[in-house]
Amino acid sequence: MGNFVLGKYLPYDSVIHKMDPRAKILAMLMVLVSIFLPAGYLGYAVLALVIVSTVLLAKLSLKFVWKSMKPMLFMLAFLMVINIFAVKTGYVLIAFGSFEIYSDAVFNTLYIAVRLMLMIMVTTCLTATTKPLDLTLGIEDLLKPFKKIGVPAHEIAMMISIALRFIPTLIEETERIMKAQASRGVDLQEGKLNEKIMAVLSLIVPLFVSAFQRAEDLANAMEARGYAPGQKRTRYKQLKFCFRDFVLLAGSLLLVVVIALMAFVL
Amino acid sequence: MSIEFNKVGYIYSEKTPFEYAALHDVDLKFSEGKVTAIIGATGSGKSTLVQHLNALLLPSSGKLNILNFEIVAKQKATNLKALRSHVGLVFQFPEYQLFEETILKDLCFGPKNFGATEEEAQEKAIRALKLVGLDQSYLEKSPLDLSGGQKRRVAIAGILAMDPDVLVLDEPTAGLDPQGAIAMMSLFKELNQKFGKTVLVVTHDMEHVLNYCDEVVVMKKGEVYSHTTVHEFFKDTTYLDELHILPPSVVRFRQMLNERGFHLPNDCYDMKTLCALIAKEVKNHG
Repeated sequence: MGNFVLGKYLPYDSVIHKMDPRAKILAMLMVLVSIFLPAGYLGYAVLALVIVSTVLLAKLSLKFVWKSMKPMLFMLAFLMVINIFAVKTGYVLIAFGSFEIYSDAVFNTLYIAVRLMLMIMVTTCLTATTKPLDLTLGIEDLLKPFKKIGVPAHEIAMMISIALRFIPTLIEETERIMKAQASRGVDLQEGKLNEKIMAVLSLIVPLFVSAFQRAEDLANAMEARGYAPGQKRTRYKQLKFCFRDFVLLAGSLLLVVVIALMAFVL
Repeated sequence: MSIEFNKVGYIYSEKTPFEYAALHDVDLKFSEGKVTAIIGATGSGKSTLVQHLNALLLPSSGKLNILNFEIVAKQKATNLKALRSHVGLVFQFPEYQLFEETILKDLCFGPKNFGATEEEAQEKAIRALKLVGLDQSYLEKSPLDLSGGQKRRVAIAGILAMDPDVLVLDEPTAGLDPQGAIAMMSLFKELNQKFGKTVLVVTHDMEHVLNYCDEVVVMKKGEVYSHTTVHEFFKDTTYLDELHILPPSVVRFRQMLNERGFHLPNDCYDMKTLCALIAKEVKNHG
């Protein structure tokens, strides 16, 4: 559980860490768009180069990024199998009797794998370098223009920040309960099926009980301090764009344009 | 049969930016059949130490001998479940481990995990519930409907039902009312004296240390600062003053009197003896 790194904030001191969360979110969106443009091998090479250098610039180790990709490996394997069975175009690469693997199946899978990996790298770059609270402030600000059409920007941001705030707490809680039940002889790794079900139950019931308890306490605490959604409020932390943020935005815009040109013009 | 720490170190989140060494080269031997208090400031490594005792945390360095089990750092430990049936660990605020529909079922959970049959488990459950001072009418109630103090008792009974040789408790009286706390500590003392259980208890309450414990282990910044008998420990209160922890009232009373000109010996630990000594000194003086 302590090895769960997807979406974890890493407190290093880098240029990327210092950037404005709004700029980072926008830049991430642009890079995500360019990842989905069909720009061929060269396009992906350019993207990979840019993204890997961003990762290194953020002082994140490639090992950390690799770790956050691990949960996706299973999905990739699954996609690979489906592609191999479903795609029957291109030329035959390998044939086992009547069973044939086509070139497009392999290439499609590779494409998806590369795309997914790049996407995870980009999002990791955002979440590992931005404090959860800054991230929600950024989201709130970016959603503000949509308020006119009835998007509850503040409420959404509040919900996200509460959810993010409680992820580590719940993980800690889970660990605590797991340990407590382990000393009562629960073994999550071994045992028969019904023992395993019991083990999971002994974990989930207390977790739910405490999660509801926490939710209620939090709601009471918020109300006790006069929290009312939709109220106009000031902020302690003011977000400010500065030069490096504009550089980031300009850079990612350039990237989208270049990749788009590679995809549609060349 | 012993509990021995041999240069044990523990590092949380090793090789990440969150890396934190909680224990450094801990050498410690707990006396069997005694009640030992483990004290220290928050963050001094008490809870980390305690979790090693039933292998919930495995040492990053060093070696551990618990009863007949040996745990060496960087070696795959085996038979942890057997170890856990001999060492019962009660966590801080253990009430969150309750999950079954009825108290009886919850109490049976531990023993059954360690291979007891349904009848054996029930018998153990009923005995454990009695030990913590709740009567049989509670057996069919839901543990989630109880009051905070009762939940605590049921949770502790859940561990007692496993009938471990060594009982480890991490701040068992935190958040209990004074009466409940005293009842709890007396229970541990009774388990120790009647059934010869080794009891290790993490506590911040010096009155409990003085009244219910035999030995004291003081932790400081992940190291063992001292390991003495309780009486030896309260002779010199410099460490407690450093921590801004008040010594037990008897010790404080004696100190205050001595500061004001009395000459009371520093090896009396109960009010009665102290009163007699005061009376004697006043008489001699007068």
